[in-house]
Amino acid sequence: MKTYSYPRSQEIFRRASKVIPSGIYGHLGPSQGCFIPVQAYPFFVERAKGAYFWDVDGNRFIDYMCAYGPNVLGYNDPDVDEAVSKQMAIGNCTTLPTTKMIELAELLVDTVTSADWAFFAKNGGDVTSFALMTARAATNRPKVILFHGGYHGVAPWAQKLGYPGITAADTENNIYVHWNNYAEIQAAVRDNPGQIACLMAPPYHHPIFEDNQLPAEGFWAKVRKLCTDNGIVLAIDDVRCGFRLDNRGSDYYYGFKADLICFCKALANGWNVSALCGTDSLKEAASAVMYTGSYWLSSAPFAAAIATVTKLRQIDGAKLMLAQGRKLTAGLREIGLVHGFDLRISGEPSMWFMRIANDDNMLLHQEWVAECVRRGAFFTNHHNLFINCALSDEDIKHTFAIAEDAFKTVKERHPEIF
Amino acid sequence: MAEEKVKACINLHAVLRNLEDLCELDPMSRKIIQGKNVALKFSVVGISKSVITFTEGKCTAVKGDGPCSINLYFSSPRNFNLMIEGKKNPIPTKGFQHIGFLKNEFTKLADRLSYYLKPTAELLGDKEYARINTILTAYTAFFAIPEIANWDPLGQLNASRIADGAINVEVIDGPAISITAKGGRLETSKGKTANARAFMVFDSIDTASGILNGTLDSYSCIGEGRLSISGFVPMIDNLNKILAQVPGYLM
Repeated sequence: MKTYSYPRSQEIFRRASKVIPSGIYGHLGPSQGCFIPVQAYPFFVERAKGAYFWDVDGNRFIDYMCAYGPNVLGYNDPDVDEAVSKQMAIGNCTTLPTTKMIELAELLVDTVTSADWAFFAKNGGDVTSFALMTARAATNRPKVILFHGGYHGVAPWAQKLGYPGITAADTENNIYVHWNNYAEIQAAVRDNPGQIACLMAPPYHHPIFEDNQLPAEGFWAKVRKLCTDNGIVLAIDDVRCGFRLDNRGSDYYYGFKADLICFCKALANGWNVSALCGTDSLKEAASAVMYTGSYWLSSAPFAAAIATVTKLRQIDGAKLMLAQGRKLTAGLREIGLVHGFDLRISGEPSMWFMRIANDDNMLLHQEWVAECVRRGAFFTNHHNLFINCALSDEDIKHTFAIAEDAFKTVKERHPEIF
Repeated sequence: MAEEKVKACINLHAVLRNLEDLCELDPMSRKIIQGKNVALKFSVVGISKSVITFTEGKCTAVKGDGPCSINLYFSSPRNFNLMIEGKKNPIPTKGFQHIGFLKNEFTKLADRLSYYLKPTAELLGDKEYARINTILTAYTAFFAIPEIANWDPLGQLNASRIADGAINVEVIDGPAISITAKGGRLETSKGKTANARAFMVFDSIDTASGILNGTLDSYSCIGEGRLSISGFVPMIDNLNKILAQVPGYLM
């Protein structure tokens, strides 16, 4: 199978490094994106369509990162883009909001089971921070229970003491517990009477570099009751999972009801809008918090979100992505086993995590992922992957061929193991 | 006070430890210790001892107690740090007959060490100087890591986030170091370890020199493939946060 090279990407990266910190900073960059080895990865995209992107060297990739989640219907979805074009012709960033904002709020209230209202911002981190502030405003309490390995954005409170730029004051109200450990949560509540404003969690545990964990049987029911009994706001960070498990919200998918639920990534198929939805009891607190931004009420992203959510409902996007994810992950595991690789799959199939477990240092996994990327299946080795609705059975079949060739290559390279 | 302790640990177990490598790498230093047979013990109240032995033209630095011919006692980490800064003289409690070594050879070695650890742009233009500077700077930084990890409050936090196992750090055609984490405590040793869980490789002495001396951006070097990381990367991520604290203690 032909493998890719990236001379133009590397040339452009050198240009970027001169004027941009890290060249490409954050999770899309080679450092935080864990491009291992960097020579196996493209750095810059030229264009994208459906389930694919083409890099600046002209290589086509089946994209299993989906821009880390936002690509849910397929890049440049015609319905979403048409809605955006129409809105752009009328107006976008204006002195007063357009009624698109209300239309989107009404659609979310109608779609998301736990939502009585919706508040809009731009990034996932905007709304997780707002959820915490709303919980504090409602309870007049300072503390928040979080899970080890959880990710809620890059605001100082969401980072860890010891990280660059973070002070003790930023994180002093955080209490960390382990996923699925109800006894630890109970103890935290008992030890901090009248102090805990909020428990914030993803619907299931999807850390990086580790097998993902679904909620244990009865976990959410017990946590829900504990929060209710103790006046603690239960906030679900559905930024990553939202609309990939169930259009009605991931709390609905797991059989409980959140007080607050945060959406972003899949909400508008790549257009920049995030939302915090909540129950009526927290609406006044949400109103009371001073929270706004220059572009938060722009109408074009609202139009994109309306088109995206409407289409996801029409095609039952979450069900479709879960089914494609099941097909893909079962096949990858099977092909791995044939060649002696223990490819472990965890998390939900529409945004699964995978890891070759033959070694304990991920070197084999990193090699295999790099070989897949070189052949046109864009995976990362550290993060959960994503399915989008445009992924076809033909794409999955082609991914299997890539995976098989990559497994063979890695196996041949390691006669000491296989 | 805690800061003085960490600084003293670094000065003793990371900076002075370099005498071992200095005497191997620098011909002038090797000449200074030729024919000397002295074991220098640094006893600083509150931190681990160190014995630096000069024998048959070689120097070895060993962390911990041991036999010595001169014992230098410091009643506090601060007093030891003042000695390192040249603001206080060491007081031997044993081995007064070797005081001449302290005043002459040891002082000259300290000056050579300082010469290599305080580079100028002009000095770095000399390839051999840059090579020795890089090796000594790398050893200083990576041997300082456990001291920060084990005694600095933020260092302890980041160390507690490092999974058990070894991290190999290697400079192609240069030194290799292994850092082992166990239960949130770290230990550095020279050379690579088999079965490491994470790997950091500088592609050349030049890259290592640029990154350690602050003239190259490590993140751009990752993108350009000059610095590669692999394996269980969260170990390196947390290690780098400790590494970033090193300059603050060496200022």
